[in-house]
Amino acid sequence: MSDSNLREMQKTGAGAEETLRLIARIAVPEGLEDRVHARLLAEPRQARILAWPGSSGWSIYSRVQPGMPGRPIVVSPHVGAGGAFSEAGVVRRPLTLQGPVVKHTAANEKPKLAAKSTTPPSASPSLIVSKKSAAALASAPAQ
Amino acid sequence: MSTTEAVFSGWMEIPESAVQERARSHADQTRADEDILAALVSQYAATLYRVAFSVLRNTSDAEDAVQETFLRVLRRREMLGEVRDQRVWLIRIVWNIVLDRKRRAKTRPETDDVADLARVLPADGLSAEARAVAAQHHAHVLGCLEQLPAKEREVLMLSAFEELSGVEIASVLNITESSVRSRLFRARNLMAGLLNHARQ
Repeated sequence: MSDSNLREMQKTGAGAEETLRLIARIAVPEGLEDRVHARLLAEPRQARILAWPGSSGWSIYSRVQPGMPGRPIVVSPHVGAGGAFSEAGVVRRPLTLQGPVVKHTAANEKPKLAAKSTTPPSASPSLIVSKKSAAALASAPAQ
Repeated sequence: MSTTEAVFSGWMEIPESAVQERARSHADQTRADEDILAALVSQYAATLYRVAFSVLRNTSDAEDAVQETFLRVLRRREMLGEVRDQRVWLIRIVWNIVLDRKRRAKTRPETDDVADLARVLPADGLSAEARAVAAQHHAHVLGCLEQLPAKEREVLMLSAFEELSGVEIASVLNITESSVRSRLFRARNLMAGLLNHARQ
């Protein structure tokens, strides 16, 4: 485009589409393709699900991911209050209140267990009463 | 044979080679898709960049849109075999990306456009003064272009790409070819009116 062409273009207004054509032919930045290729290579590949041959099972297939550097875990140094040395990883255990103490009263439990074990089931007063009442019911005439 | 053995007998009968064969065929397919993708980048990155620049008018934004286009293709690379016209398909993807970005982006001041155009557009054979005038003129034209209705503006912009036929523009915009012609006619008339109005 020369100076005269430019003047002509501005006069006639025919430059509208000429401007668009210039944009459509614009120079591409150097190394565009390489950068696109590099970006594509850096993109992690998705795993694909494959049908397991001959059965209803499935398996996952994935390529080894190239260019996936491990992320370092940055731990900030722990500095004690007042600029003192750190505690070198010593775990601080808080002081806690003592919980309730369970008292085992073994002396009180023994006699109960002994009484239960020494009393035969047949000698139970409730059982005797029930036997008497059962006999009375059996001897009573039917109404 | 115990119950457990009976249950797993189906698995045991699958030959190892069948599994490996299946995985290998998928790996081969993936490699083939990536080869196609690499070829597409080499062949169409420049065209996509120009299409993106025509809308965004910013070099880094346009390059970013091109990268986004190929990333989308990579994620859907299984579809590559089904695409009939890869060039038009790619242009349609980048077109949708840049329109979406332009809608979401803040409106930049017109002076930015002028500065970008003066730097980027070819100005061979022009003096420094004429180059500045040309940049002003291009910015003015693009300002008028922005006043067109979206449908007409989009057709006019795509028509500037000599490598795109009417049928292909219709395919990119998902309209009929006759719609492309009628919109282009209206766009040219409107544009002429805007430029004449600005001159008076």
